[in-house]
Amino acid sequence: MKINYQDLINFLSEKPSKEDLSQKLFQLGHEHEINGDIFDMELTPNRGDCLSLNGLARDLAVFFGKSNSIDLFDGDIEPLEINFENLSPNDCPKISFLEIEIEDSKVEYKPYLQNYFYTLGVNKANLFTDISNYISYELGQPTHCFEGESIKKKLIFENRECNAIFKTLLGSEVSLKDRNCVFSSNNEIISLAGVMGGASTACSLNTKKVLVECAYFNPESIIGKSIKYNLVSDAAHKFERGVDIASQEMVLRRFAKVVQDHAKIKSIKLKSFTEGYKQSPTIPIDVDKINKILGTSLGRNEYLKYLKALNFEIADEIKVPSFRHDIETNNDLAEEIARVIGYKNIRSAPINLSKIANDSYDNKITKLESLLVDNGFTEVINFPFTSKKKKESINIDNPLDSNRSSFRTSLKDSLINNLLYNERRQKESIKLFEISDIYTKDIEIKQQKKLGLIVSGRLANNYNDFSKKLDNKYLKNLLIKDSTEDVFKIIEINRNSLDTKKKDKIYYVEISLENIPKSFFSKLRANKKAINFVTYKPVSDYPSSTRDFSFSIEDLGQVNKVITLLDRVSDEMIKDSFIFDFFKNNKTKIVKIGYRCIFQSYIKTLSDEEVNAKVQEILDPILKIEGVSIPGM
Amino acid sequence: MSNLDNINPPSISSELGRLHPINQTKDYLLKLLADIGFEEVHGPEIETEEFNFDMLNIKKSHPARQMHDTFYAEDKQNVLRTHTSPVQIRSMLESKPPIAFTSAGKVYRKDDDATHLPMFHQVEGIYVDENVTFANLKDLIHKILHELFGDNVETRFRPSYFPFTEPSVEVDILSENGKWLEILGCGIVNPIVLENCNLDSNKFSGLAFGLGVERIAMLKYGVNDIREFYKSNLDFLAQFK
Repeated sequence: MKINYQDLINFLSEKPSKEDLSQKLFQLGHEHEINGDIFDMELTPNRGDCLSLNGLARDLAVFFGKSNSIDLFDGDIEPLEINFENLSPNDCPKISFLEIEIEDSKVEYKPYLQNYFYTLGVNKANLFTDISNYISYELGQPTHCFEGESIKKKLIFENRECNAIFKTLLGSEVSLKDRNCVFSSNNEIISLAGVMGGASTACSLNTKKVLVECAYFNPESIIGKSIKYNLVSDAAHKFERGVDIASQEMVLRRFAKVVQDHAKIKSIKLKSFTEGYKQSPTIPIDVDKINKILGTSLGRNEYLKYLKALNFEIADEIKVPSFRHDIETNNDLAEEIARVIGYKNIRSAPINLSKIANDSYDNKITKLESLLVDNGFTEVINFPFTSKKKKESINIDNPLDSNRSSFRTSLKDSLINNLLYNERRQKESIKLFEISDIYTKDIEIKQQKKLGLIVSGRLANNYNDFSKKLDNKYLKNLLIKDSTEDVFKIIEINRNSLDTKKKDKIYYVEISLENIPKSFFSKLRANKKAINFVTYKPVSDYPSSTRDFSFSIEDLGQVNKVITLLDRVSDEMIKDSFIFDFFKNNKTKIVKIGYRCIFQSYIKTLSDEEVNAKVQEILDPILKIEGVSIPGM
Repeated sequence: MSNLDNINPPSISSELGRLHPINQTKDYLLKLLADIGFEEVHGPEIETEEFNFDMLNIKKSHPARQMHDTFYAEDKQNVLRTHTSPVQIRSMLESKPPIAFTSAGKVYRKDDDATHLPMFHQVEGIYVDENVTFANLKDLIHKILHELFGDNVETRFRPSYFPFTEPSVEVDILSENGKWLEILGCGIVNPIVLENCNLDSNKFSGLAFGLGVERIAMLKYGVNDIREFYKSNLDFLAQFK
């Protein structure tokens, strides 16, 4: 909700600066952003009463005082004779109608009305609709304007089963389904109550006579309708959060006053219907309870002073204002007090608990994690949604899309996808695992904590393991130390059905933690490392470029020097480098070193020239060493 | 030195793996809270409306219960839990105060855009005893935030709204660039929730708080895009050693 600072301070007796106002709004719990004079408010859903200038001013009055500057129509208003029936007072316990006729609809807007449209960027429609919008901004109570001559038959409010196309006053067509609160006349739905009026009874630029409807709708009767029918509606936003049930006649007198500011009124009539009106609750005065909730030592007088400033009536008990639907208990009142005195002014008091040791539940997981991390595995976390529906799958009723309509029954597909993703990113040695709850259904929903792990590619990026592959044997060595504990089923995943050109074999293991014997865990260490919050560097999405070099070292005294220089290679452009081959030729007495360097930039695709220049930089000091060469270069 | 046998091959350092940064952060938060005295309890991700909403005083008309906010499953018999609070409800039903529980794990909301994911992680805590006050909550939250962001971090308690706590606040910290960043939500347990768990709300009171693990991880590691955590990109994950 956007509010103009200049408009808001008109409602306050003191005129705080924007900074002071902003600070107090935050203290009261009203989040906002400021752009020039415009405060873009983000109010919590329980504070529907603050969705207007008057509403925010009522809350701020505790700090800045409130000016009583709402000009109301103070002339005589005749009773309106209206053929109306409320068939559902549970949904609408209070409704008022104002009929007003003016001499000429061609008017020039007064500065306050003109400014509202100008500063807040609201589109103009016609005089009565514009006034209705302005009143909602000022007082928080939506009104709806029916063209005064458009309703010839009995007007009915009802909550009924609908199956009709409804054309809104904005011209869109919605297909009403199920039960809705509607106004109808002559068997035609003319307004979707609390959300939007219809085209057939809408006002136009020529409208001189209007029937203004001003109601209190129960939030439960309105909620979800604007989303269901995809209608953006300020009225629905307010009714869903609850408007002031006692304000309808005052609001219509304000409406009439704004009309009077702009046109000569020919006639004005009003009628209210009230049924099943719920009185505001009262709460016993109990300052000790408030102090017990907050940990404060507030006196009774101070307590009541704050409540009065927030419009609570104090008699034998505390009477909640008619617009505060969020207040029912002493805990609610404690929050009111905390907002006024400010949480920063509430003292701190420690609680005394004793330290908890790690429990065994986590110990199992920690041991598995330690084993895998020590052996170079990286943990992944995947979303559990899949399009693959099985008999035992848990199905989502309202998925984001059909590809995510069931819960996965295995970790396998997720881990295969993770593997292929990293292969496409030129990763040559991949070891991943995931530990996650898996849910399936039989008679009831079954929950199992599962471990899945997947490997493929080179055993490791060093000269011992570079040409060896991750395989069945590797996983056996890792997991199966004792044949009696052979619970890990290692399977090979066939690449034929996968979207990949790679040839390396893929091995996969999945097991429910409850199926791993205790004896397996007893051999493992639980090694929980302290966290190190490193500063993350964004990942480059530019392609990398790999260069291999084969050094031939004839002067054996220089081998260590070469290795040391290679170890020290480091550059922004170098993503990874390692010695992948180390060979001592006994015949020729020459040492060969194979060295791989992977180049990648964070800002662009590297050109061959750029890589070559960097290569030269790395090679120069090495090739200057006596007896070191790269054959063929 | 000219003998091949005397030449030492280059040393091989075995490459360590790493845990996912979100789990590292989650475990760190749980450890921090265990050191204060909170015991971790566990519960299912697939919940019922009763435990996820009703018991927590989230009324049928609350927007969070709409189909566009919450994933429903199995013909509306279940919901994917939208927070880890139902775990605390289940645990409270089985224990008597004083209790101090944490619950942590995956939660689900029907969102998917640049800053919201359909699945994320929470760590929540609840403490119920006689005479628990907001002053206790304030002290506890400061302990947590000082541990996370240093003793000099500037904090702001901003009134907010959660159906299961009353009063409710959101807590912000002042970042280096002078902006307030929302860090966690907390409050005094709504007496209705205590009564729902068969606890006498005239005798007992409680405090509760919840942190978004992704949010903490993003701030602590300097990750700007929440989606990075779930691409399973080794170039990304390898950094969190």
